[in-house]
Amino acid sequence: MTEEMERDENVFLMGEEVAQYHGAYKVSEGMLEKFGPRRIIDTPISEAGFAGLGVGAACCGLRPIIEFMSWSFTLVCLDQIVNNAANVRYMSGGQFTVPIVFRGGNGIAHQLGATHSHRLESVCARIPGLVVVAPSTPYDAKGLLKTSIRCNDPVIFLESEKMLAEKGEVPDEEYLLPIGKANIERPGADVTIVSYGRPLQRVVRPAVIALQQEQGIDAELIDVRTLRPLDVDTIAQSIKKTNRCVIVDEDWGYCGMGSGILLKLQKRCFDDLDAPIEYVHSDEIPVPFSHPLEEAMMPSVDRIVAAVKEACYR
Amino acid sequence: MPAEITMPQLSDTMTEGAVVKWLKKEGDKIASGEKIAEVETDKAVMEMESFDAGVVAALVAAEGQKVPVGSLLAVIATGSENPAEVKKKIGSPAPAAASPPASRREVAASRKPAAVAAASASSFARASSGEIREADDVVGHGATRQPAVSVPPVHHQDNGGEHVVVSPVARRIAAEKNIDLHALRGSGPGGRIVKEDVLAFQSPAAATAAAPPPPGNGQSQVIPLTKMRAAIARSLLASKQNIPHFYESIDVDVEDLVKLRAELNDLLEPEKIRLSLGDFLAKAVAAALLRHPALNATFSGSEITRYADVHLGMAVAIPDGLIVPVLRNIHLMGLKEIRRRSVDLVDRARAQRLTQDEMTGGTFTVSNLGTFGIREFVAIINPPQVGILAIAAAEKRPVVRNDQIVARTMMTLTLSADHRVVDGSTAADFLKTLKTLLEQPGMMLV
Repeated sequence: MTEEMERDENVFLMGEEVAQYHGAYKVSEGMLEKFGPRRIIDTPISEAGFAGLGVGAACCGLRPIIEFMSWSFTLVCLDQIVNNAANVRYMSGGQFTVPIVFRGGNGIAHQLGATHSHRLESVCARIPGLVVVAPSTPYDAKGLLKTSIRCNDPVIFLESEKMLAEKGEVPDEEYLLPIGKANIERPGADVTIVSYGRPLQRVVRPAVIALQQEQGIDAELIDVRTLRPLDVDTIAQSIKKTNRCVIVDEDWGYCGMGSGILLKLQKRCFDDLDAPIEYVHSDEIPVPFSHPLEEAMMPSVDRIVAAVKEACYR
Repeated sequence: MPAEITMPQLSDTMTEGAVVKWLKKEGDKIASGEKIAEVETDKAVMEMESFDAGVVAALVAAEGQKVPVGSLLAVIATGSENPAEVKKKIGSPAPAAASPPASRREVAASRKPAAVAAASASSFARASSGEIREADDVVGHGATRQPAVSVPPVHHQDNGGEHVVVSPVARRIAAEKNIDLHALRGSGPGGRIVKEDVLAFQSPAAATAAAPPPPGNGQSQVIPLTKMRAAIARSLLASKQNIPHFYESIDVDVEDLVKLRAELNDLLEPEKIRLSLGDFLAKAVAAALLRHPALNATFSGSEITRYADVHLGMAVAIPDGLIVPVLRNIHLMGLKEIRRRSVDLVDRARAQRLTQDEMTGGTFTVSNLGTFGIREFVAIINPPQVGILAIAAAEKRPVVRNDQIVARTMMTLTLSADHRVVDGSTAADFLKTLKTLLEQPGMMLV
């Protein structure tokens, strides 16, 4: 964010506790000192208000970054995101664009309870006019965030509180990652596993290792990185090779993100499939506060291994 | 309206065919029922007639070129139509007819226009075996039958109403490799045929191909499979993979039969008829089958059909292949009739001039290698039949009669039977009856 704010003075950051407290999770540490209160703006607890403020600013030529402490709190400002951000460019016949990034922690982040653990990807990714990004590594997060800030359409940038402390190689020099392009994180021959963001980091990577070591199944892991627009080509190419596909997310299954991905794949890939596409998702219950119950309702390494074995007729 | 002639489906297994020879040129007049082309199927060469009268406006398919069933072959200008105009309207040949499809997907893409054409055009060609019923059946329902030709159906209704469950990619690969899904056994959940099953089906041939013998000094030769060879490979492999064969052999003393044959041939000399031992065998087998209907049967996988009539298939070797013409109602024939009919069938089989009807509908099969001096052999069942009899050579052998070793003319018969529907004792009873009929040929009269 700092690099982009240095590059373009129209970029500013706004949200709860982003300035004086340096962000609820210390994401904006040092930014107030560097850019001052005109560009790093603390807001009251008023998501609908500052989301709308951001949309208006974007319409007027600025490039706001709106931080939500949690995507669970955005349900009160969906009108601003869905009706305004996503539709202004279309409704104005292109007279206004909305170059805005909404970012914050999404999904289940350890004992935050049912109302604080929502996964908003399927809500946002179904809206034409929005771009939805969900990185799973520090490298991807930086490259995709920079591209998102430069994007002229509203971008939903889904982070995870649990991944902010994740460490990984990030080059010093500038780089950008394209929106709408999936990453084949690990090539494999036997099955295509499609995932993104926090679940990919939390359970899919360990599952891929377990599959190789314990089952001898060579999985190809695809991090879609962008949920809208979805890079169907890359997934379809992979399925052409492996003939099997398992989708993993932490959404609820019915109308969940994976259901949407499945819709894009089933007809296109039908003649390449040797087994039905498997979808590993969270149980369809409110997210429990209890740690063991929360763990139990989410995708696990065991569940992924079982689904992959099913898809592989093993 | 110009009449279109499309590649007819002349057998259940036929997915493509080739015009071997055009019997008419563009511009020739043609009458209804007149022959227009010779068409090669996977089993035979047949003559094709035009249903329409007119002038041959365009021959779309090139001679020798394989095209999918339903593809446009030729167009006939009918009534007062100008053949040149008709030809111009066709323009360049339709893609489906112009080149063999590179993939099944293209076949599927091209099949709809073909099917529509089949449904709308009033005229078609038929095989000229006089089997109008067969031809009508083929083309009259062209619109509904064509898709089944281009892409093997997922849901297949045959005699037993069998339902083939198959994964999409397995179905695609099977179609590409021309594998009959009914020949496969699914290893997936609920018996679903999966990719591995289709690939495994390929592996015997693939394994052979993968390890060619080390080259010697001579020039080795790579021979592409003819349609017939491919059909034989497919159906025999399917038979061995799906039918639990068991075998029973019996030695038959044919000394008296050989004598009887010599006597009869002397009597038939003026008629220029010479009965073969095989003719007697065929008659005896037919008589034995009537007494043991368990072997005069077909099996669909879920039910057995026993037949009151005997239609005997006779394996005939032809250059680079094998064909099994069927002698219908052989149980009603005398030896002279059997001789006359079998000679005719064998001759036409060798010339590849059999009609589809003459190659199907058998209830049992015999394979005779007697003239090759083979002592004994086993044959592979021709599904859906449940038995096949391997007839070896008659030869003098030392045998024990009344504790004395004597020379007798002996012959070894080996029955292959499908153990799903025939048991060992049933097969043995059949062979015992057959032995009695051959050793005491007079029994065939009673």
